[in-house]
Amino acid sequence: MSNSSALALPVARREQAASHYRAMGVPHRRVEEWKYSDLARALGEEGFSDGTACWHIGPLPAGVEIFDLAEPNAPEWVRKHLGSLKESVMSAASLAYAQGGVALHVTKVAAGPLALEFSGAGHVRALIVMDAGASLTLQENLAGCDRRNIGVEIVLGEKAQLHHVRIAPVAAGAVQVEEVAMTLAAGAGYHSHYASFGAKLSRLELDIALEGEGAEANLSGVSVLGEDNHADITTRISHAVGLTHSTQLFKKVAGGNSRAIYQGKVSVEKGANGSDSRQTAKALLLSRQAEADLKPELEIFADDVKCAHGAAVGDLDADSLFYLRARGIPETDARALLIHAFLEDAMTGIANADLREQVRGAVNDALGRVSA
Amino acid sequence: MLEIKNLHVTVGGKEILKGLNLSIAAGQVHAIMGPNGSGKSTLSYILAGRAGYEITEGSITYNGEDLGAMPPEQRAAKGVFLAMQYPVEIPGVTTMMFLKSALNAQRRGRGEKELDAIGVLKTVRAKAATLNVSEDMLKRALNVGFSGGEKKRLEILQMSLFEPKLAILDETDSGLDIDALRLVAEGVNALRDPSRAMLVITHYQRLLDYIVPDRIHVLAKGRIVAEGGKELALELEAKGYDQIVKDAA
Amino acid sequence: MSSAAADTKNTVAAIGEKYKYGFVTDIEMEKAPKGLSEDTVRFVSAKKGEPQWMLDWRLGAFRRWGEMKEPNWARVHYPKIDYQNAYYYAAPKNTPLKQSLDEVDPKLLETYKKLGIPLNEQMALAGVAVDAVFDSVSVATTFKDKLNEVGVIFCPISEAIRDYPDLVKQYLGTVVPVTDNFFATLNAAVFTDGTFVYVPKGVRCPMELSTYFRINASETGQFERTLIIADEGSYVSYLEGCTAPKRDENQLHAAVVELVALEGAEIKYSTVQNWYPGDENGLGGIYNFVTKRGDCRGDRSKISWTQVETGSAITWKYPSCILRGDGSVGEFYSIAIANHYQQADTGTKMIHLGKNTRSRIISKGISAGKAQNTYRGQVSVYGKAEDARNFTQCDSLLIGGDCGAHTVPYIESRNPTARIEHEATTSKIADDQLFYCLQRGLGQEEAVALIVNGFCKEVLQQLPMEFAVEAQKLVGISLEGSVG
Repeated sequence: MSNSSALALPVARREQAASHYRAMGVPHRRVEEWKYSDLARALGEEGFSDGTACWHIGPLPAGVEIFDLAEPNAPEWVRKHLGSLKESVMSAASLAYAQGGVALHVTKVAAGPLALEFSGAGHVRALIVMDAGASLTLQENLAGCDRRNIGVEIVLGEKAQLHHVRIAPVAAGAVQVEEVAMTLAAGAGYHSHYASFGAKLSRLELDIALEGEGAEANLSGVSVLGEDNHADITTRISHAVGLTHSTQLFKKVAGGNSRAIYQGKVSVEKGANGSDSRQTAKALLLSRQAEADLKPELEIFADDVKCAHGAAVGDLDADSLFYLRARGIPETDARALLIHAFLEDAMTGIANADLREQVRGAVNDALGRVSA
Repeated sequence: MLEIKNLHVTVGGKEILKGLNLSIAAGQVHAIMGPNGSGKSTLSYILAGRAGYEITEGSITYNGEDLGAMPPEQRAAKGVFLAMQYPVEIPGVTTMMFLKSALNAQRRGRGEKELDAIGVLKTVRAKAATLNVSEDMLKRALNVGFSGGEKKRLEILQMSLFEPKLAILDETDSGLDIDALRLVAEGVNALRDPSRAMLVITHYQRLLDYIVPDRIHVLAKGRIVAEGGKELALELEAKGYDQIVKDAA
Repeated sequence: MSSAAADTKNTVAAIGEKYKYGFVTDIEMEKAPKGLSEDTVRFVSAKKGEPQWMLDWRLGAFRRWGEMKEPNWARVHYPKIDYQNAYYYAAPKNTPLKQSLDEVDPKLLETYKKLGIPLNEQMALAGVAVDAVFDSVSVATTFKDKLNEVGVIFCPISEAIRDYPDLVKQYLGTVVPVTDNFFATLNAAVFTDGTFVYVPKGVRCPMELSTYFRINASETGQFERTLIIADEGSYVSYLEGCTAPKRDENQLHAAVVELVALEGAEIKYSTVQNWYPGDENGLGGIYNFVTKRGDCRGDRSKISWTQVETGSAITWKYPSCILRGDGSVGEFYSIAIANHYQQADTGTKMIHLGKNTRSRIISKGISAGKAQNTYRGQVSVYGKAEDARNFTQCDSLLIGGDCGAHTVPYIESRNPTARIEHEATTSKIADDQLFYCLQRGLGQEEAVALIVNGFCKEVLQQLPMEFAVEAQKLVGISLEGSVG
């Protein structure tokens, strides 16, 4: 890859993004969407560095094309989609300042998991375009302890299926933002799991537009946090047309001085009848200094819909704990067992068995560290 | 009392009843039998006036009036009662409250004086006892968490409370075990009356062992294809619908 | 001229001499001059015959208000309010306080009768004492004797400022600080009247206290201020009900209600809000920006809010509880109905500060026509709130495909022993439910009212008997024309 030139984007578009970002500024806690994650404060005076963060990709399976966004002469599918989706403040920043990134074009059912890793500091972009009927399992690893802002766009054609598993190991002191915008055509599916273990501030924002009938988004995630870790998952799902489905299941365990955040907004647009949405977020606090903030939001403009959300914060169920101890299991073991059980149902949705085991392993390591 | 002539009904643009003729006199109990998809439920809904069921041809005359032109609540006030196959749950509305509201709405519709809460309570309690509808059921939200048998017993209780002139029982036997079926049938039989007509819609012959009809009509593909006395039910049971429909063709 | 009017005139004259801002307004006029300035504040204060400390308090609020911005985070849209184009004080004709009902304008009594308000001997049978507020000034107060016997103070707040200054000074603005928010600060500057209740230690208030608010004068903002103090171990149930005659102008209303429950005390505050919602085209209607907050200041105290919000073009209202005392309890039961072009943004805040604090939120939102209905709620558990518990159930019902139902809960916990549970659902009136009711003889609107009342049952049953019946009727009336 090369980092010499600018992003494969018309200059005017970059400037537009830059002025969007300048107008809004670095988000802080008085910006409603960033109420629980004060990015300006976490970054301090320094802000993001000007450089471009790095990306590395594993061997490409058949049916996947790649384009380095730092290269000139972008193919038509890059020119068409790069910078075309809904733009948040921080994705405007990556669009304006990233000098490189990666674009993937999936044309058919691709064999499995493709590994993509981001590392280093600065802004970086990614674009994933999937043709009708294509499918891919993508494993995204977030490495290093840097200040990084990733901007991602995902375009799923009819019936395209993307399984996306992100693993973000603990990165104390890092500030890591990833802003994802995507659009799904009829029958397309986005199946995402996000295993996060915290940073000085980490935030994944998923902005998903279900724009074709039968499109679905299934999001799950686990967070295990300790020390001063901060992990924020923010989702927005728009049911733009009827007969679209979304499910969300996020489980968080917070120890030390950590802070676990979930903000999720589900919108059902006018006339999007037959939409179905479930949203669940639960947090378990393990220490007196930990904090959990949940904001599950519904915005409904159609009457023939099924929408529900549930949220809960608490400690382990006292009855279950007693039951286990009464059967001879020592308290620490019983607690560990119940914490695992609490997180488990948010991991069972990971379709790929290897990735599921990898997430489980990471969760176990983190629990060992956090609850010790 | 009820005179259906050449009735054609469409649902969502699809024709379900295709020229049905049926006539029931006061005091009679008629049964409509037919295979799945023959139009049995459509017949019950068009008689009760459910939205989405459209008469494209023919007529329904009830005591000399055009039934098809009336809104459902007016039909109810005029004595048309449909005991539904799947009685609907309404959370938060107690059964007793619902019975009182409906009874008085019908009385208002007929220009009769409304009953006070105590009057309704007394009447309901007396009737509830014979149908094994418990005080507890009356206090619970309408049909919410009721078993299949409880729901059907409550339908019959309503029938006995509202004293309709034309009672339509849509698959009243579905989901009932033999004891529940007997209890419901006894309730229905107790309401047989020279001034009242009943239309019993059922897939199976077994209900007709308990509610013995004066006449049986076989409905297939939107038309009455065979008619006869109560013995027709046994013939159906023996031969099956396919054969009867074929014989009739 | 009656003596009260003469007193007021003298007071105004005195103030006029004292300040260079003195005004030349005729004291007999029933309205303050249009617009909002320090003079308006002085006028209101003088009209009320207030002491200097109260005027200073108001002026302080007015100065802060000038530096504040109108909030815009709620999901409500309305044309910009011109605060200089409204009247801030209006008194009904024949202002002076009446000593008995016989002295009250018969037309007024006729209006009350139409609205079904028992303002005569029947009240004794109903056990309701009514402090009726008609256009900012109390015109009749009853049952004072009975309350006096047990030491309960129940009077217009203007009277309390005069007669019980120490109590007012001690508590006013301690739950909703003067600068709490734009509308509360405005209220602090220009509030015209409202109710004051003090229930002494260990007293169980012998009757439900009830105040009926009316808005009647065109283009008059209503700025009611209510302060209720339940001293240790006492209990009081307060009922607030509102209806307004139909009119076209949008009218601003910014009330403040403060509740203080000391150790072991309980306050139950119920509201039926049925102000003019605007017509079916969204023309007119009341803008209702209300700040209501209760402070469970003592251990084992309890504050319970129940509201049925069916009126107003815009509702902006979040009755909240600060659960400061250990073992204190906060409750919020709400029905919000928005039809036609109404916009409701309502909910609550439960702030758990003390140990073993409990809160319960049951919210039922109904949207019909082209209305927007938002539940906005916050449950916060602070670090010291050991074993705090919250349960929230938040249900929305949509009638028709042109309305909106929105849920915005904030759930924040900083204590590992606390437990917070939140559930929300969205549904519609099912066609089969409607048909079932019609088949059994209920009319369309009756069926809708029945089903919606069922949906709201958990909240309706929290209301005192006298209100429950009225509220059930209101639910039906509010949704007329929404189906079919």
